[in-house]
Amino acid sequence: MNHVIIGNGIAGVSAAESIRQLDGSGSIVMISDEPVDPYCRPMISLVLEGVIPPSKLPIRDSGFYEEFNITPVLGSRVARMDVDAKTLFLSDAKTLPFDTLLIASGADPRPIKAPAAHLANIFFMRNQHQVLKMLEVLPQTRHALVLGGGLVGFKAACGLLHRGIDVTLLIRSGYPLSLQVDEIAGAMILAELTRRGLNVRVGVEVTAFKGIDSVTGAILSDGSEVSCELVIVGKGVLPSISFVPRDRIQVDLGIVVDDHLETSCSGIFAAGDVAESMDIARKTRWVNAIWPEAVAQGRIAGMNMAGRAVVYKGSLSRNVIRIFGLDILAAGWVNAPDDPRFAVLSEHNRRLNTYRRLVFEGDRLIGAILVNRIETGGILTAMIQNEIPVRGSRRKLLEPHLSLKSLMF
Amino acid sequence: MSSTFHLQTITEDGQLLLKKAQADQIETVWDRHQAQLPQCGYCDLGLSCRNCVMGPCRVDPFGEGPQQGVCGADADIIVARNLCRMIAAGAASHSDHGRDLVEVLAQVAKGQAPGYAIRDPEKLKSVAAEYGVETLGKDILVIAGELAYAMQEDYGTRITELALLKRAPAKRREIWKKVGITPRGIDRETSEMMHRTHMGVDNGWQSLLLQGLRNALSDGWGGSMIATDVSDILFGTPSPKPTSVNVGVLKKDQVNIVVHGHNPVVSEMILMAARSSELIQLAQSKGAAGINLAGVCCTGNELLMRHGIPMAGNHLMTELVLSTGAVEMMLVDYQCIMPSLGQVASCYHTRMISTSDKARFPGMEHREFHPENAEELAKTLVREAIENFDKRRKVYLPVEPVQSIGGFSVEAIVGALGGSAAPLIDAIKAGKIRGAAGIVGCNNPKILHDYGHVTLARRLIENDILVVDTGCAAIATAKAGFKMPDAIQFAGPGLKEICGALGIPPVLHLGSCVDNVRILMLASALANALNADISDLPIAGAAPEWYSEKAVSIGAYFVASGVYTVLGPMPPIAGSLNVVKLLTEGLRDVVGAVFAVEPDPEKSAILIRRHIEERRKALGLGFHTL
Amino acid sequence: MNQVIVHPERCVGCMQCMAACATAHSRTRQLFSAIRETPLPKSRIHVGVGLYDEGFPNRCRHCNPAPCMLACLPGAIYRDWRTETVLIDPDHCINCASCAMACPFGVIRYHEDTSAPPKKAVAIKCDNCLERQQQGQAPACVEVCKSGALTFEDPSKALKRKTDQVSQSISAGFDIPQGSPGLTLLNTIKRAQIAVGKAA
Repeated sequence: MNHVIIGNGIAGVSAAESIRQLDGSGSIVMISDEPVDPYCRPMISLVLEGVIPPSKLPIRDSGFYEEFNITPVLGSRVARMDVDAKTLFLSDAKTLPFDTLLIASGADPRPIKAPAAHLANIFFMRNQHQVLKMLEVLPQTRHALVLGGGLVGFKAACGLLHRGIDVTLLIRSGYPLSLQVDEIAGAMILAELTRRGLNVRVGVEVTAFKGIDSVTGAILSDGSEVSCELVIVGKGVLPSISFVPRDRIQVDLGIVVDDHLETSCSGIFAAGDVAESMDIARKTRWVNAIWPEAVAQGRIAGMNMAGRAVVYKGSLSRNVIRIFGLDILAAGWVNAPDDPRFAVLSEHNRRLNTYRRLVFEGDRLIGAILVNRIETGGILTAMIQNEIPVRGSRRKLLEPHLSLKSLMF
Repeated sequence: MSSTFHLQTITEDGQLLLKKAQADQIETVWDRHQAQLPQCGYCDLGLSCRNCVMGPCRVDPFGEGPQQGVCGADADIIVARNLCRMIAAGAASHSDHGRDLVEVLAQVAKGQAPGYAIRDPEKLKSVAAEYGVETLGKDILVIAGELAYAMQEDYGTRITELALLKRAPAKRREIWKKVGITPRGIDRETSEMMHRTHMGVDNGWQSLLLQGLRNALSDGWGGSMIATDVSDILFGTPSPKPTSVNVGVLKKDQVNIVVHGHNPVVSEMILMAARSSELIQLAQSKGAAGINLAGVCCTGNELLMRHGIPMAGNHLMTELVLSTGAVEMMLVDYQCIMPSLGQVASCYHTRMISTSDKARFPGMEHREFHPENAEELAKTLVREAIENFDKRRKVYLPVEPVQSIGGFSVEAIVGALGGSAAPLIDAIKAGKIRGAAGIVGCNNPKILHDYGHVTLARRLIENDILVVDTGCAAIATAKAGFKMPDAIQFAGPGLKEICGALGIPPVLHLGSCVDNVRILMLASALANALNADISDLPIAGAAPEWYSEKAVSIGAYFVASGVYTVLGPMPPIAGSLNVVKLLTEGLRDVVGAVFAVEPDPEKSAILIRRHIEERRKALGLGFHTL
Repeated sequence: MNQVIVHPERCVGCMQCMAACATAHSRTRQLFSAIRETPLPKSRIHVGVGLYDEGFPNRCRHCNPAPCMLACLPGAIYRDWRTETVLIDPDHCINCASCAMACPFGVIRYHEDTSAPPKKAVAIKCDNCLERQQQGQAPACVEVCKSGALTFEDPSKALKRKTDQVSQSISAGFDIPQGSPGLTLLNTIKRAQIAVGKAA
């Protein structure tokens, strides 16, 4: 059996390990455009923050490929693929045949369109290489500008702030992480960041950058100007599917997969940030581009590729963020629309400085936000993922220190 | 945001103040109860023992782990010892309260207690006679001195029988003698209880419990009874007076002073100072309309009974009363004062003052009261409270007070009946009143606040059972409106008729927790009139929301005196089914009454009604109303 | 292989397991000195409260596959295959709480610990008292539990006992022995108390 995996992020790595556990003899080839050992992408913001050294990023060492009998093809991208001939064509003209294929190519940052966006020291924060380059620029950075209040922009701003650098964050909604949290949690986050010295500008965009070789400032849509020696752009990601034949493989927000993570083409699977699967909370197809989904999808896709028909329950959005003494855990569909279908239960305990917001659809919990005392939040995540009907008191779920037994009869 | 306050209390002022306390980030007794869960099952079962350092020990209720402590005590002994120490602590508290009053009486006799006086000289003479003190031709103060001396004898070892036992029916005293539980001395029984529960002394679980009953009787017919009688002598025997209850008794435009604790020796002096024209003028000069004194817990009950002073709340309300932001000063002496109050008060401008040399509290300023300095110190403190008036910030008083009538001492009840207990006995014989029940005791966050008291009272009066109540229970039913004459609308036809004719409410406020002895005296009067024993009467007792060791002593002396008593929360005895069986069944053959445990007041009402009907049948009284 | 087995119906909520666990993971391993240490040792087992105010000893199940292990970003969570114990390497833990988000039982906590680099809060959870086991001792929580809620035995033995109990209970004429009549009585009263509040 020829198993080929595009991408050596955690989805690809988990799939490879899964396949090797079930298929001792088949060949596994892994293709990646990053010529480095598999590393933990979410941790790159911690490198920017200065909390961990770059040496702590790898999550598999260089002996990984040999240990699992994997043939690595590093520093290459896939140019196109022939679905009928079951062949990949790489950017360096190499060809690779496959019996089963996993597309775990991840996502690329959405490009920004603004004059002079090509200036040096304007970065995306998607890979290790970009962050290492940022570190070189930090000593000359007096002011930094961060675009986007989503997970990437937020973590970049916090990281720089932690380093003592003056940061201005431009966000579209009234508070950061607007896709992950509600207004109340968002206000708590914004208050804490502002207290720590972050400048937040709501509703303004960059119309142009200024500078000669490297960026020195930005002109904003409200006419004001901001000086900056470092810009980090976090305006979302787009799945890496340039090589995917759209007439043969169904693509929507990402590559559409069924509950075995198989695409519309038999024998071709997708997992990780590139894959679009059924969202358990939303009950529609969605791309949940987060680490634990990449792990789960990679693992299960690998099992299916090795011939074991394991079902994937579906994906669930979830994030845990710890900044400046404020802990936030958000899972599922936390901003469900204002509709009689959904019931919301919330509690803000000022004495304990905790906030809870729970969203129900019928008797199912579909979304949860926890601010502080997040240690037992996994109980709620599991309830959402396993679609456990909530019988008895819903108020118990709001307790700052939820006890598992209080849910059992 | 959703609210759960109705799951904590049934009272409107309680729910509103819980909301305020939450907004003010105040931790309440309910929060601390939640944080304690799960509470240790060994202790809840009474199966843990810390009496000696060969331990600490526990017995495994599942029969596999250790079944005896290191000394060899089994579950029965450990449970009995633990319960008896609770009785000892409760009896000691009530008796010490009585002792402090006796000391004031002695000081008054010597003229060394300025401000205190003998307000009921007739009661002084009648009680003195009971102690064998000759009263003919003697000066009141001399009688007072001799009575105080004789009462102090009751506390000691010189006598072999408490003086006031003579008030109990002869048949009851015979039972005590036969069982061997006639209390000999007040401090003596508590001391012997502590001795017996020491490792290696009394290891008979039944004999321990019998001493427990004797210890409780030394409280009920000793320490507490002396406390009530001497309070009546010094401060006046209560008579019916209008009053009001709940947090709305605090006034937005007046200096609010709240007294908390138990002994009227302190609160009566504060009242006197608060009524002095000099201090009222001072208050007015500060922009207040006057000085408003209110009480919480039993010392408030004492002032309510004698002077109609309003009550701001019962046990679980004491923290919430402070969260109104309207209290200039809270003065406390002893018992049932939560050590959290100092911390709660620090969020507001309230000054917290501890007054007893026996009782210090964190966050409170200590200003000690003694008979010699009480009058002056009271005036000084009221002045300081007035000075605190302009430091008020925001005040939250969201309710209007509920009107109520208090002051039903036994003398007052008999007076209301026209001079003798006969009309009440006739009504019971005719079946218009089936019987009577005393609802007593505290609050407990384990039971929905005031729900136990109010529900039980309502069901009983619906069943034509006259209710008398004391302590926190009395405040609960007053807040529910049961203590106004128009509350007869909630009563059954017979009770409605009798109370309506007499112009009294169907629930009578008998006083504070030491005033539970008034129930004993009322029961004795009825029993004597029928030439029966207390256990023959169609009466019962109930403590639907109790929490304290004092309550264990009260429950024990009720049962030991022949009154069937239903408890809401379970005492820590389930670890020994032998003890449970004795207390709920076996005692019937020993003292003619038993305990029952039933947290649901709807069900305990049925238990009480059933018991009353059984007693009526045994007395030859019909089920039907004549 | 012996494992820690939990029998929730036996838990009386005394929390001795918590005190013993914290002491076993302190520097000095003695209760009286452990409570004076910096950092203060913390229990890995957590006694929670149920619907009827009853206790429940919540400990790590050392799941296989372990959701915490799969969720860990730096790969700091690994398994000791001999005992199947899931362990967290405090030197690689980045305190991100991804494991808490993944743990369906809520058994992970975050704090400074004597096992971690100084002044660094890390994820802490039950380690099956491997060090004690190596010295022939049972895990600390089991050793102090006197009501039989935590036992250290072969799972097949515990399962056989349970199977026997079930078979006996459905045999005709068999009188089901009550674990503890006293505790049953207490729990009945406690449930009545709780129901009173709800019925009102």
